[in-house]
Amino acid sequence: MMLEGKTALVTGGRGGIGRAIVARFLREGARVYAADLTLQGSLAAHDDDGSHFIKLDVTREADAIAAMAQVGEEAGKLDILVNAAGIEIEKTIEETSLEEWNLSFAVNATGTFLTSKYALPLMRKAAAGGTSASIINFGSYDGFIADPGLAAYCATKGAVHALTRAMACDHGPEGIRVNAICPGYVDTPMLQSFFTGDGSGGGGKTIDQLQQAVRDVHPMRTYGTPEDIANLVNWLASDEARYASGQLWVLDGGLSAQVQQMKL
Amino acid sequence: MRLAGKRALVTGGRQGIGRGIVEAFLAEGAEVMTCGRGPQPDGLPEGCGWQSADVSNPAQVTALAQAAGAIDILVNNAGVQVEKTVADSSDADWDLVIGANCRGVFNTCRAFIPQMPKGASIINIGSISARVADPSMALYNASKAFVHGLTRSIAVDHGPDIRCNAICPGWIETGMLEAGFDLSENPEAARKDALARHATRRFGKPADIAAMAVWLASDEAGFATGQMFTVDGGMTAASPINTGLF
Repeated sequence: MMLEGKTALVTGGRGGIGRAIVARFLREGARVYAADLTLQGSLAAHDDDGSHFIKLDVTREADAIAAMAQVGEEAGKLDILVNAAGIEIEKTIEETSLEEWNLSFAVNATGTFLTSKYALPLMRKAAAGGTSASIINFGSYDGFIADPGLAAYCATKGAVHALTRAMACDHGPEGIRVNAICPGYVDTPMLQSFFTGDGSGGGGKTIDQLQQAVRDVHPMRTYGTPEDIANLVNWLASDEARYASGQLWVLDGGLSAQVQQMKL
Repeated sequence: MRLAGKRALVTGGRQGIGRGIVEAFLAEGAEVMTCGRGPQPDGLPEGCGWQSADVSNPAQVTALAQAAGAIDILVNNAGVQVEKTVADSSDADWDLVIGANCRGVFNTCRAFIPQMPKGASIINIGSISARVADPSMALYNASKAFVHGLTRSIAVDHGPDIRCNAICPGWIETGMLEAGFDLSENPEAARKDALARHATRRFGKPADIAAMAVWLASDEAGFATGQMFTVDGGMTAASPINTGLF
């Protein structure tokens, strides 16, 4: 049990990756708040996993303030904040409306900003207890290299990467570590939506064939599971990672380690 | 004429990217010489000097530096590639690739830096493969990462007087690229697929890399040092997954 005695809040905590993180944190002994728009999140069903649900729209300042007030009242501190809430608009900049652009930034960048901003006082309290507090943001390998037709998403993730380093600089002296996980392709509702949306190929392939083709581009020949991501989030949240801060942790089955594949 | 009055050495300038750089430097008014293994080849551009030298051999490089004298521009272009994984690579492969790509760059820099004047520019040919791996090119990929590291070190250590940068070419249309496509069952399809992975929808030409080299060699680049300049038609800006191509 790596997180015993710790309190954690996970935004997007009822979604694909978020739910796996919540489950892992619970298994590691943490008190966990799963914050999301709805109890169901982006998945089809709700499972009662023992987490505390907080209704949170990460774009709303009042929601962030209320969520932290509740955590403060009930737990008195916050050791771990995971900013996993995110959305993806599958368009080029020309196709993206200003409203869609603003919404992308509101959720992915501003949401990370707002939740972190109001979590800091509670995280200082946790750090004062002698172990480091840990913020884990969600960047993306798309913050380094672009997928076609995903412009606003790529830009928001680049913003999260820079924000991660800035927060690590500013709050490291207070005992708060800040890192970002940069997933590649992970089997989530967001990825399934990508396959059935504009990303679904031009070669007349079925979704299954397309998914296999995507797996085959990876050196590991598979894409990740939410549990793969939760494994690293758990480590970064734990005291084993007490010297890890300000870094962007790419977890993508080797996808971005390779150059474009020449088809021979 | 942006390089008028400057003296340049381009290693491995007989063909490919090096040849492109030699021609561009000559066109910009530089005095240019190149070197390579063996005797002077036929067909060097008019006005290009030649020295026989194997850059992997320290004694030959010392002799090259004595013959060449002071130069303003050093382009470390000579390089080799062996298409193997780590498990398949022999000691001879190691000696060949590391000898030319790593030791060669070290040899020329060590020999020429003491005789380069203030304001001189060293340009190393690195590669996108130093950052993202080409499959079955293990020693080559690693050797180019060495070049990038050495580039930064030279920039830091010799900064007040000498600038040092690397150019990272992507896929440049040389005989090597065409040979790669010819290995394919369907060269036409392979070529089309590869083109679609370039934002420019074309491959690079030696002249594209030479254009960057001219700029880095010129006094316009007086504040540029210690950096890797990627010229790859946008290829490494994009994810290797491009579902539109599947």
